[in-house]
Amino acid sequence: MDQLKPMDTTDTLLYLTRRVLQALAVILIVTIVVFCLLHALPGGPARGILGPQATGEQIAAFNHEQGLDRPLPVQYVYYLNTLLHGDLGTSYTLNEAVLRLIEQRLPKTLVLTVLSALVGLLLAVPLGMWQAVRRNKPADYVITTLSFVAYSTPVYFLGLILVLLFTQTLRWFPSQAPQGDTLAQVFADPAALVLPVVTGAASMIAVFSRYMRAATLENLSEDYVRTARAGGSRQGAILFRHVFRNSLTPVIAMLGYYVPVLFGGALVVEQLFNYPGMGLLFWSAAQSSDYPVLLGCVLVISVATVVGTLVADVVQRVVDPRVKGGRA
Amino acid sequence: MMKGLKGLNILEMADLGVTFTTDTGDVPAVRDVSLHVRPGETLALVGESGSGKSTVALAALGLLPGNARASGRVTVDGTDVVAAGEAELARLRGRTASMVFQEPATALDPLTRIGRQIAEVVRNHRPVSRAEAAREAVELLRRVGIPEPERRASAFPFQLSGGQRQRVVIAMAIANSPGLLIADEPTTALDVTVQAEILDLLRELAVDSGTGVLLVTHNMGVVADFADRVAVMLRGEVVETGPVEEVLLRPTHEYTRRLLAAVPRLMLSGEGPPPSGPPEEPAVVRLRDVSVRFGRGRGAVRALEGVSLDVHPGETVGLVGESGSGKSTAARAALGLVVPDDGSVSLFGTDLNRARGRARRALLAGVGLVLQDPVASLDARMSVAECVAEPLRMHRRGMSAAERRERIAEVLELVRLPRELAGRGPRELSGGQRQRVSLARALVLRPRLLVADEPTSALDVSVQRTVLEVIAELQRELGFACLFVSHDLAVVQEFAQRVVVMRAGRIEEQGPTMTTLLRPETEYTRRLIAAVPVPDPVEQRRRRTADRTGATA
Repeated sequence: MDQLKPMDTTDTLLYLTRRVLQALAVILIVTIVVFCLLHALPGGPARGILGPQATGEQIAAFNHEQGLDRPLPVQYVYYLNTLLHGDLGTSYTLNEAVLRLIEQRLPKTLVLTVLSALVGLLLAVPLGMWQAVRRNKPADYVITTLSFVAYSTPVYFLGLILVLLFTQTLRWFPSQAPQGDTLAQVFADPAALVLPVVTGAASMIAVFSRYMRAATLENLSEDYVRTARAGGSRQGAILFRHVFRNSLTPVIAMLGYYVPVLFGGALVVEQLFNYPGMGLLFWSAAQSSDYPVLLGCVLVISVATVVGTLVADVVQRVVDPRVKGGRA
Repeated sequence: MMKGLKGLNILEMADLGVTFTTDTGDVPAVRDVSLHVRPGETLALVGESGSGKSTVALAALGLLPGNARASGRVTVDGTDVVAAGEAELARLRGRTASMVFQEPATALDPLTRIGRQIAEVVRNHRPVSRAEAAREAVELLRRVGIPEPERRASAFPFQLSGGQRQRVVIAMAIANSPGLLIADEPTTALDVTVQAEILDLLRELAVDSGTGVLLVTHNMGVVADFADRVAVMLRGEVVETGPVEEVLLRPTHEYTRRLLAAVPRLMLSGEGPPPSGPPEEPAVVRLRDVSVRFGRGRGAVRALEGVSLDVHPGETVGLVGESGSGKSTAARAALGLVVPDDGSVSLFGTDLNRARGRARRALLAGVGLVLQDPVASLDARMSVAECVAEPLRMHRRGMSAAERRERIAEVLELVRLPRELAGRGPRELSGGQRQRVSLARALVLRPRLLVADEPTSALDVSVQRTVLEVIAELQRELGFACLFVSHDLAVVQEFAQRVVVMRAGRIEEQGPTMTTLLRPETEYTRRLIAAVPVPDPVEQRRRRTADRTGATA
C-alpha cells in the first residue's frame, strides 16, 4: 500500500459516539440490576428506619408513602423518570436529597482516589521497569514478594497495621483523615491525608508494578530493542525512549478497569480513617437500607467506571497510533 | 592469522565459539568459525535453520542474548567485540558496523515516527542538532528510495508496507556510513519483486561506499545474486568456503552438494511436456466469477474479483502471486471458509453455497487441507494419532475404535512416518515430520481434493523436497486433485501441471505451467519471473544485466 493512512477525525468521532452510547446502555443495565437486587432483599428499609417497635400498620404506611408497595417495574420506571429529571430521590435516614449528599461527598472521595491512583502509578511504573531490568536478581525477588504480600493483604488489615505503626508507635501521622466539609479544609491538613492515601495506593502499587514488569519484559525482548541496540543506542536511552512508552500502553488500558477497585478500596479506607466521603456514605446507607442513597452511590460508581474505561481507551488511542476504530 | 591482513579486513573472526546456557545444560551453537570480510566485498553465510548462521551474525556486533557466551576473537575494524564492554560496543554499533534484520514488521519501534528513529542513530554517534539529524533522516529516506521522504519521515511504521519498512531499517543501518553491514535474512519476509529492489539497493550502497557486507541467508538465489564469496554452515561449523562461482557451481563438500541439489530451480527455457488438452472428467472444484470483499463501506477490501478457476481430478494447480494477491482467499473460498459476495463455488459438481447441513459436511469431507505453519496447525495437547483421528471422529461416526486405529496406522505409513510417533505430541517432532502429520490428517478421509496453502514455506529446502515428494507420490497413487498455493515459482513449476497467476485479487493469467512460466503472456508475470534469483551466479549475473538493459531500452 503506497498511501499513508490518515488518522481520520470522523473515524474518531464515530468511535466516541459509539462508545458513549455503549456506556449509557451499561449504566442503564447496572441500575436495573442493582434496583432489582436491593428490592429483592428481605425486610425492606421500613424496619430499619422505623425501628423494632414499629407496628405493621406503620410499616405499611411507610411502604405506601415511599411507593414500595407497588410492582417492581412500576417502581423502577418511576425511579428512572425522576433520575432523568436530575433527581436521585431523598435519603430515608438523613432527610436530605441524595444529589446534595453526593455533591458534598464525591469531591472528597475523588481527592482520595485520584491521589491514591497517582501515588500508586508514580511508584508502580518505575518500580516495575526497574524490576524488569533487574529481572531474577535479589531486588526483583524482594519487590515481587512484597507485591504479593501487599496484594493479598486485605485493605482494612493493612490500614490497621499502618495506623498502629504510624500513629501509635511512631506517632508520625494522625489516625484520622482530615475532617471538614470543603476541599480547602481537606488540603489544609496534608499530614492527615498521608495514611489514607498510602493505604489506598498499596494494592495499586502491587498490581501495577506487576503489570509494568511484565509489559517491560515483553518489550525488552522485542525486535525493535535489538534494532536500537544495533544502532548504537545505550540501555538507558532504549528504556526511556522506546520501551517505556510501549510498555505503558497496556498499563493505561488496565487503569480504566481499576476504577471500581479504587472505589471499593475507598469504602474501606474512609471507614477506617473516618473520612466523610462516598465510601462512608455508602457504608452507612447499606447498614440502614437507605435505598435512594445506595442507588445513587452505585450509579456514581458505575458512571465513574464507565468513564474510566472510556478515558483509558481514548488515551490509548492517542498514545498508540495503531489503535483504530476497532470493535469495542 | 597473517598479520598483514589485519588492516585490510573490516570483519575478522578467528575460532569463534558460542555456547547457550539453557535449563537443560550448555548447548554449543557455533564452533571454531573463522572468516573475514574485506571492504567492498560481500560474504554470504548460508545454511539451514539451526546451523548457527544468525548467531555468528549477532556475535559480530556483540548482540548475542544474555544466555550466550562467546569465545575466540571477533574483530570489527580493529576492535575486539568479544572482549569489548557495552559502552565500547555502543560506540561501534551503528557507526563502524550496523545491521539489517529479517523481520521488518517488528524491527521498528511501533510508537516512534520513523524519522525520529533514524535521527536517533545519527545522534548516537555525531554531535548534530535535532533539526540537523531530522534533515539527515529525510535525506537517508530519499537515498533508500522512499517516495516523498519529507512527509514519510513523520509516518509510524504501521503506515508503511513491508518493503518500505525494510528500507527504513536500511536507512538506519547506513546513517553513519558504516564500514561493515550485517544483513540477517534481509529479504526473507518480502515478496520476490520487493526482494529484488532491496537487494539492488543494498548492492548500490555497498558499491558506492565500499562497505563490506556479511549476508546471512538460506536462499541460494540471493547468494548467487549478491555474494562475492560464500561460507556454508552446518551444525555450528563452517564446512566450506570460497568464491561464489566455486561453491555454487563446483561444491566440494558433500553437504553443500546435497543442499544445492534440494534447491528448487526455476527453469527459464526449454520445453516442458506438451500440454495435454483439457481433461475429460468434470472439475472437482470450480470457482466461477467469485468476488470476495472484506469489511464494509469505504474501508472495504476487495480480496477477490471475478476469479474463475477449475481443478480437475488428478491434476495439481499452482496458485501463485505476491502477498495480498488473494491466493489464500481463493483457496479458502474453495473450502467454503469464505463465503463469496458474488459468483459460485462448486465442489464435486455441487454448489457449495446451496448445500446445507449433512450434505455440506459430506462435500467438505472430500477435501483435505494442509496449512503453512505446522506448529500452529496442530493442537499441541493432542497426540499425533489424535490429530490424525479428528476428521474420522467428525465424518465417520460409525467407525469403531479398532478400525480407526488401523486407518491411522495406514495413513501414517502412507506419509512415511514411523508408527512409533503416533503416541507422541506434535512438539516432539521436527518441522518436516509435523508437516507430514498435517498431510496424514488431510488424507485420512481419502479426499478427492487436497488444498495445500504454502505447505513447505516454513521448512528448510531439504525437508521441503521430501515433503513435496511425498505429496506428489501419494497423488499418483491415490489420484486426488491438488490446489497448491505458493509464492515460490520454482516449486510450483516443478510440482504443478497448471498454474494460475494472481495479482491484487484478480487472475492475471493461467495456463499449463511450462507455457505460462516459460512464455508468460503478461508483463506482470514476466516481472515476477525476472525477480526470482536463480542459484547460479553466472546465469543470475547475465539475467540481471539483461534486465537492466531491457529496462532502460
